Amino acid sequence: MFVFTLRRLSLFIFTMLLLTLLSFSVNFLFPGEAIINLTGAINATPSQLVELNNAYQTHRNIFWQYLAYLSHIINGDLGLSMASQSDISAEIVNLLPATIELSLVALFIAMLIGIPLGFIAAIKHNKITDNLILSISMLGYSIPVFWLGLLAILTFSISLGWFPSAGQISLLFEIEPVTGIQFIDILLSDSPYKWQAFSDASTHIILPACVIAVTPATIFIRLARTSMIEVLDTSYIRAASAKGLTFQQIIFRHAIRNSLIKIIRHVGLQFANLVTIAMVTEVIFSWPGIGRWLIESIYQRDYTAIQSGLLVLSCFIFVVHILTDFIYAALNPLARGNKYGAR
Amino acid sequence: MNLLDIRNLSIEFVHNEQNILAVDKVSLSMKEGEVRGLVGESGSGKSLLAQALVGVLDDKWHVHADRFHWRGIDLLRLSIEERKVLLSRDIAMIFQEPMACLDPTTVIGEQLTEAIDSGQLSGFFWQRKQQRQAAAIKLLHKVGIKNHTVCLTSYPHQLTEALCQRVMIAIALAGRPILLIADEPTAAMENTNQEQIFRLLASLNQLKNMSILLISHDLENITHWTNTITVMYSGQFVEAGTTAQIFNKPLHPYTRALVDSSPSANLHLPAKSRLKTLPGSIPILQHLPIGCRLGPRCPRAQQACVKAPLVTNFHGHKVSCHFPLIPVKSPPKKIIKGVC
Repeated sequence: MFVFTLRRLSLFIFTMLLLTLLSFSVNFLFPGEAIINLTGAINATPSQLVELNNAYQTHRNIFWQYLAYLSHIINGDLGLSMASQSDISAEIVNLLPATIELSLVALFIAMLIGIPLGFIAAIKHNKITDNLILSISMLGYSIPVFWLGLLAILTFSISLGWFPSAGQISLLFEIEPVTGIQFIDILLSDSPYKWQAFSDASTHIILPACVIAVTPATIFIRLARTSMIEVLDTSYIRAASAKGLTFQQIIFRHAIRNSLIKIIRHVGLQFANLVTIAMVTEVIFSWPGIGRWLIESIYQRDYTAIQSGLLVLSCFIFVVHILTDFIYAALNPLARGNKYGAR
Repeated sequence: MNLLDIRNLSIEFVHNEQNILAVDKVSLSMKEGEVRGLVGESGSGKSLLAQALVGVLDDKWHVHADRFHWRGIDLLRLSIEERKVLLSRDIAMIFQEPMACLDPTTVIGEQLTEAIDSGQLSGFFWQRKQQRQAAAIKLLHKVGIKNHTVCLTSYPHQLTEALCQRVMIAIALAGRPILLIADEPTAAMENTNQEQIFRLLASLNQLKNMSILLISHDLENITHWTNTITVMYSGQFVEAGTTAQIFNKPLHPYTRALVDSSPSANLHLPAKSRLKTLPGSIPILQHLPIGCRLGPRCPRAQQACVKAPLVTNFHGHKVSCHFPLIPVKSPPKKIIKGVC
């Protein structure tokens, strides 16, 4: 397990290095001067510019420039936003938790709906239930998310009035930001209206999270179905049924864990897809997350914000990817332990 | 009374409007306490027949039989659920490739304890877990695994193939079966391990009076351990009789070829001469010959062989051939009968 952790950690470090290399090189490809793109200091006086050039080592070769850039990133200095001249790292610290919250809730919903449905489809393989679930998943997969979001707002918040259409929480509640993640902050706060705030925040998150969850859920249905069909066809399931176990026992004791192992690896991959969908959905539902901020900065040609926002988002996706790898190792003894004779 | 009596069992594979008769009217009967060998080349439907007996075949296989009696009970009259309950209580099976037949994500202990059915346990529900554990350890000792704590807590991939097969036998014994079907239990195993597994099965047969159906592709290997042998070829019944009958005076050309094909140390062959084998190979399921399926390869085939032969009985030695070999006066080969 220790070696496994070390391996993941080294993978993380090298991927992060590559990502910073990419975001660094992007500064030279954007129009304008590289140092301005890097720092976002568009209104800098000549003396400030000299200082910045010194700090980013522009007089030396590209390798030293990259190292200087790296040291800035590690110190948490991502430059200023070109549009608002505010500190980007502070803004990201404000915005990222909202995105983390939304995408994790969406991922949870997608898994909770998609995986059991896929299992049911696999158990009823080639029957009406299977075909029904498959056609629903095809339908869900082919609906574009911006249209689905607008449709959801139209039905559930305007016609039916069940859920609010925008924002993270009603403005009436004053919640002190501690961790940035709304639900944890609400539980930590000592406001007398804590539980009202909690239910209000939940009604706000349901609609966007469900809209985001639709596409990943359909992918999970297909993944769960194929992996369950594969597992049900293996010899250990046949041996278990020869042992005299009932079908339910076989499913719950042996089949589910083995097929979950095959799915969990794909969850990390699908998460990148989910975050992309979340960015679009954040715009539609005016969710105060990093996706909306990033799309706005793309509109405003805010190059500094774009490159640091991309860096942070991909870092987040990668962290989730590694976490799913750990869950995979926890579920699968073949991944963590030694094989017979391997010592 | 016969323990198991099957008459004309056929297994059909339905695929794209095309039915393939993988097992064609095979009869099999077993007495209590008997060790019967089921022999045939790979692809001759032995494993299919065994899996049909236990009832673990997929939906795509269709099984028909004229008679299927288990200890005098007509199983064809029972519903599928009743049949499954009855068979899984009395018949246990060990498969080829034991490693693949154990759940890779569950420890051995859990897989073994869940096979012990709660009817065997006495006591209240809070004592059950301990009793199961004790029963599991006892089962492991029975199959010759002394280091039970390590075995119970390890995953299948941490054990050797032979240990996994012993665990599979322990799992099979957990239900206290009357008939144990062993489907090539020693495939891909070293000789010493093979010997140990066979000896374990033989001792189970002698001590517990457990009947064993031993499936193998290697006739010579199992003759030491069996009382009677049934030979199959390409899904058809070939010959059945006692081990001595089959080995010393085979009536069917195919059995004869099987016996001759296994070289032994005192075989006198001129240098660089060909070993005796049947020409050709077993037909694939999509292109089965009509009539006797051995026809194209058979040295004695004649025109009558395009019709499937009926089973003829020579003093309990059953053979399915139009032109059986007439028993010769001096048997070509003798085997030393071992412990069985």
